Amino acid sequence: MLEGAELYFNVDHGYLEGLVRGCKASLLTQQDYINLVQCETLEDLKIHLQTTDYGNFLANHTNPLTVSKIDTEMRKRLCGEFEYFRNHSLEPLSTFLTYMTNEFPAQEVCTPCSQTLVTMFLRVQVNFHPVKRCSYMIDNVILLMNGALQKKSVKEILGKCHPLGRFTEMEAVNIAETPSDLFNAILIETPLAPFFQDCMSENALDELNIELLRNKLYKSYLEAFYKFCKNHGDVTAEVMCPILEFEADRRAFIITLNSFGTELSKEDRETLYPTFGKLYPEGLRLLAQAEDFDQMKNVADHYGVYKPLFEAVGGSGGKTLEDVFYEREVQMNVLAFNRQFHYGVFYAYVKLKEQEIRNIVWIAECISQRHRTKINSYIPIL
Amino acid sequence: MSGKDRIEIFPSRMAQTIMKARLKGAQTGRNLLKKKSDALTLRFRQILKKIIETKMLMGEVMREAAFSLAEAMFTAGDFSTTVIQNVNKAQVKIRAKKDNVAGVTLPVFEHYHEGTDSYELTGLARGGEQLAKLKRNYAKAVELLVELASLQTSFVTLDEAIKITNRRVNAIEHVIIPRIERTLAYIITELDEREREEFYRLKKIQEKKKILKEKSEKDLEQRRAAGEVLEPANLLAEEKDEDLLFE
Repeated sequence: MLEGAELYFNVDHGYLEGLVRGCKASLLTQQDYINLVQCETLEDLKIHLQTTDYGNFLANHTNPLTVSKIDTEMRKRLCGEFEYFRNHSLEPLSTFLTYMTNEFPAQEVCTPCSQTLVTMFLRVQVNFHPVKRCSYMIDNVILLMNGALQKKSVKEILGKCHPLGRFTEMEAVNIAETPSDLFNAILIETPLAPFFQDCMSENALDELNIELLRNKLYKSYLEAFYKFCKNHGDVTAEVMCPILEFEADRRAFIITLNSFGTELSKEDRETLYPTFGKLYPEGLRLLAQAEDFDQMKNVADHYGVYKPLFEAVGGSGGKTLEDVFYEREVQMNVLAFNRQFHYGVFYAYVKLKEQEIRNIVWIAECISQRHRTKINSYIPIL
Repeated sequence: MSGKDRIEIFPSRMAQTIMKARLKGAQTGRNLLKKKSDALTLRFRQILKKIIETKMLMGEVMREAAFSLAEAMFTAGDFSTTVIQNVNKAQVKIRAKKDNVAGVTLPVFEHYHEGTDSYELTGLARGGEQLAKLKRNYAKAVELLVELASLQTSFVTLDEAIKITNRRVNAIEHVIIPRIERTLAYIITELDEREREEFYRLKKIQEKKKILKEKSEKDLEQRRAAGEVLEPANLLAEEKDEDLLFE
């Protein structure tokens, strides 16, 4: 879109890009991880974290220190930083950031879909156009739908929603009593509307399993995000599109792997694959026919990028496919920082920070459960 | 327990037989109860050993399961609310059966699966493998828990039963049987005494009678000598009857 983005980028987004690069510099390094791994108790861990950029974030907590407290505090920090970015951003960066929030997993809740859910979903759609925020929202919305289905109180569910997935109409979603109510009344509430339109009609949702619903939503969200990045063009497209393509392919592989032995049929499986990425369309068709891990591996062998990944699976250290994918994702995210004047840095930063939170929580769990054999299975970032 | 009492009963031969029968009954009862107590104690010790084993195993399994939860959360993110909200019916259920040990009924729990796994597709997009492992680990933990519950209830029930039985055995041995024995001894002494009394009385009466007889003999002699005593007619003596005309 913009030719010579270097000329215009800093006008609107320079401050934020500088900020995000500063934040990235404070991610934990390999040395920090080595120190953390050597801690004996959670208190030691807290002391070590004080020397990093986390500072005294656990200072207000009384004993006993639990892993969930550490988790919540770190997440709060990340949310604070992200909100700051979002609030200070201008278009089209703010659109981009809103797309991201769709991503954060809230504590998810899904029940077998029903009319109510459909309507809630549809109701929940609309409003802003899809933004980077959506994935967290997807999860929050499913949570709310479920709550309305089970007549739970709004407050209870709101408490469980991920903070980054908040949107102002959340309370309204719960008010509707009957499905048709939901459907008719609040159809205009959230930014997720387009995604719902893609994957379902009101009646079809009755039989749908909640997990399928969630995955379908995610697929249309990914596709919308990809289109947005591509349309934006310029460096952002060059950086983000490969990352998103990898995400799509990864989802295809993992869904295939996890659906072996379940009642998910091949056709259903195929509808869950995002329609972009390296595997589209021939690879996806082959994957849909795969029946076990080896067949999947054969499909991956056709693609130069994925062949070495699959070969690393099960090697020394007992890595699973998921671990291998995580590592590759982290690699790509780190590479995003090598270029300037694009929005990918924000995406990459958030992803890396999340991975760091996961790593620290993993190490903390291993320490607190005194199960140190696998303590080194975190994903190293820098 | 009072030490020196006995059953209040009128001492007689029948009472003695009754008491003997009761003593026999009490002793048989005590032996049977002792056997029951021994059988219960034997079972008790077996269960105790099994409980210790199962508890150790339980510690290991729970540790493993908690760690696999951490692994699953690392890969799949936080799926706890999904799981909690999706609960409707239990998949693993328990049946209570009865087991009989020496007359004591012990409850035994056995688990069975019902329905399909409603969480089959959870973690479809990420973490499915770890979730499957997690499900397996916790299923194992639940089975162990059910077994442990069975063992512990049996333990408690058996404990009660053993205490009661032992109390009864002791009661019979130290209270009932001595009381019966004392009663029996009392009856026997009473009977003996009565016999002696009878004997003595008989003897005394005989003496008295003898003296009386001698006295009356002497009297009779004296009177016969004085000619005052008329011999009554002896119907049996052969005599000529004057009135008879012909012989």
